[in-house]
Amino acid sequence: MTSSLSAEELDAFLESLKRLLADRCTEGDVRRLMEQPGHHDADLWARLSEMGVPGLLVEPAHGGLGAGPAVLERAMEELGAVLAPTPILSTVIATALVQGLGDEAVSARLLPGLADGSTIAAVALTGPAAKWTAESVAVAAIPEGNGWRLDGKAAFVLHASAANLLLVVARAPDGIALFEVEAGAKGMSVAPLPAFDRTLDLADIGFEGVAAVRLSAPGDGWAVVEQALDMGRVALAGEQAGGTRRVFEFTTGYARDRHQFGRAIGSFQAIKHMAADLLLESESAISAARHAAEALADGAADAPQSISLAAFACADAYVRTTADSIQMHGGIAFTWVHPAHLYLRRARADAQLLGSSAAMRERFVQQLGG
Amino acid sequence: MTDEELIAEVRGWLAANWNPRDKVQAESFGRSPYQSFLEKVLAAGYAVPSWPKELGGRAMTPAQGRLIEREFAAVGAPGAGQDRHNLWANTALAYATPEFRDEIVPKLLTGAVGMCLLYSEPGAGSDLAAVRTRADLEGDRFRVNGQKVWTSGAAIADYGMLIARTDWDVPKHLGISFFFLPMKQPGIEVRPLRQITDEAHFNEVFITDAFVPAANLLGPLNGGWKVLQTALAYERSVMGDAARGPRSGKGSPKGDGALVELAREAGVLDDPLIRQEIAQVTAWKILNRMNNARAKAELKRGTSSPIMSLGKLAMSRILHQEARLRTLLLGADSLLEGPDHPRAEDANFLSLNAYFTSIGGGTDQIQRNIIGERVLGLPKEPEIDRTMPFREVRSG
Repeated sequence: MTSSLSAEELDAFLESLKRLLADRCTEGDVRRLMEQPGHHDADLWARLSEMGVPGLLVEPAHGGLGAGPAVLERAMEELGAVLAPTPILSTVIATALVQGLGDEAVSARLLPGLADGSTIAAVALTGPAAKWTAESVAVAAIPEGNGWRLDGKAAFVLHASAANLLLVVARAPDGIALFEVEAGAKGMSVAPLPAFDRTLDLADIGFEGVAAVRLSAPGDGWAVVEQALDMGRVALAGEQAGGTRRVFEFTTGYARDRHQFGRAIGSFQAIKHMAADLLLESESAISAARHAAEALADGAADAPQSISLAAFACADAYVRTTADSIQMHGGIAFTWVHPAHLYLRRARADAQLLGSSAAMRERFVQQLGG
Repeated sequence: MTDEELIAEVRGWLAANWNPRDKVQAESFGRSPYQSFLEKVLAAGYAVPSWPKELGGRAMTPAQGRLIEREFAAVGAPGAGQDRHNLWANTALAYATPEFRDEIVPKLLTGAVGMCLLYSEPGAGSDLAAVRTRADLEGDRFRVNGQKVWTSGAAIADYGMLIARTDWDVPKHLGISFFFLPMKQPGIEVRPLRQITDEAHFNEVFITDAFVPAANLLGPLNGGWKVLQTALAYERSVMGDAARGPRSGKGSPKGDGALVELAREAGVLDDPLIRQEIAQVTAWKILNRMNNARAKAELKRGTSSPIMSLGKLAMSRILHQEARLRTLLLGADSLLEGPDHPRAEDANFLSLNAYFTSIGGGTDQIQRNIIGERVLGLPKEPEIDRTMPFREVRSG
């Protein structure tokens, strides 16, 4: 229906992904990566690549699994559940950008590396306004010689330290266009940002007369960027839904195990009722993320609306669940060694990336006809 | 019999016996206006296909039963699938004595008797096991005294399914019995109960020295709590989503864009705060649909889903929030009511009737307990009245 994998194949794929993550992406691994510059686990990425995770969206002709967004979303649930520090999100957006161009030569050159994980892409997209809209693009492109030169600023670029491919969304005289810049190109300054979610590699990138190759055809290319952002939002929604469910599970588990006043704290209605409300949040996030991914896979007319909905519903569910989780745990979750705050940090980061919840609600109202 | 043969048989039967023009506005509680048709449905074995032959069924599989239901639904004919839906008949089948069962079940399946529920009392709402209506054995009948509330259809019912206390010296769950109480007798007074919406969909039932034959006892004496659980399970499976929308219906655009339209008409669609609220409420509605669809799909795959338990909470939140939003859109117009002010009427009605969902059938707070305990495996609160004789329990 919505994926090239049968239900049994999907279950088997997710099962081996879970096993890999249980083995190679423990809380200890995540904490170790938090302390390392770039927060990139090359070994984990290599193993995920062997399974085909980076190439889930890439068609088999270019070396991917061609499994589509519905399978990607399910994989993201698993990655999100363990806070996997990987460059998957910018890989997804870069893949969707390249695919959106519809240029066979560019696809043949870039997609195989993205699919097998050997290419790690960073996408410079939004400017300091950080709204991930066409208006907030703050890099200007002008023709120079046989190529183009870029000037301006990109903000909150993901995974720039590990990247060996940089795609830049810039404003050309004929509209928004997509460019490729060589790693370490002259005139480019990468300034790592101190991220609140310490698993996240974030950077500002400055461009001063940076030479670039234009990938997109003449004319305005924002539609391609928006489509790629929507693919990224589906992936992000999956990560949020998976994280929400995991936090919900360990929180209710704690409410069953932890005893105070001679009984499990989950027997107190004050805790029990919070848990019941969070079940609704968690299940709704999963429904929203999967529905959006399936709508996109099916090319449904209402896919963009479903994506807006998933974007804010999953973002809000993740923030609320991680926040309430800390409250329900009590003191233990106020300590650094407890994982609850790692999820809260991720939830708060995810709620900003690719557009805020409020912005997604506004987009949703417009899609409803408002 | 193959599915194709069954479908052909049912279609042929419906063509010969059902005229869609006979369709009337059906009453859910009184006697059925379709009695003569329902008798034919029962005789043909379509009313309760999964039941054994001697009880009016055809010993079919549930899947075959659903095929029959689908054919009936396609032409709008009533009476099929009662082995799944008929709360009264299923409860009687499971617990009535053979004599009473054989007398009452055919009447229930053909709509020859009207029914009502006599469970809740002023002092036993969410805590249903605290009922104080009493039934005292006198020879071959019980004398019944007490008061019931939230009873739909009481004025036209022939029988009420009654829970009453028959032993006061044992813990509360162990002293309750379950009866089919005849309603048309001098000791029963039915008074309509005026709701906050100014409607009266329910009644109070005052029972003073009424009688019920001992033969109408369902299950063992003092074993009524278990019978009640069966009946409640059937009721829940039938009720589904009992929430009603706005009252007037005229002034209300439909679909996911409805709130956008209302805001536009009210001239406040450009208010960013209102736009955020519209997005939230509309999203909750769509999420509820998505959750239900996913629960159904998971059920089909054979995995049970925790989502089933969430519908009521989701619906309460939607209705209360939509009421607040509609009020916000209207501003001072919400001071008004009546047919000349349909939007105010809608918003005000919704803001009151939302409680029908968040209180009715067990409050949202009780539902959160149920989810916490049955779905999430959290322990129950200690219940101090669980083991003491009911006579000593403080309630009311």
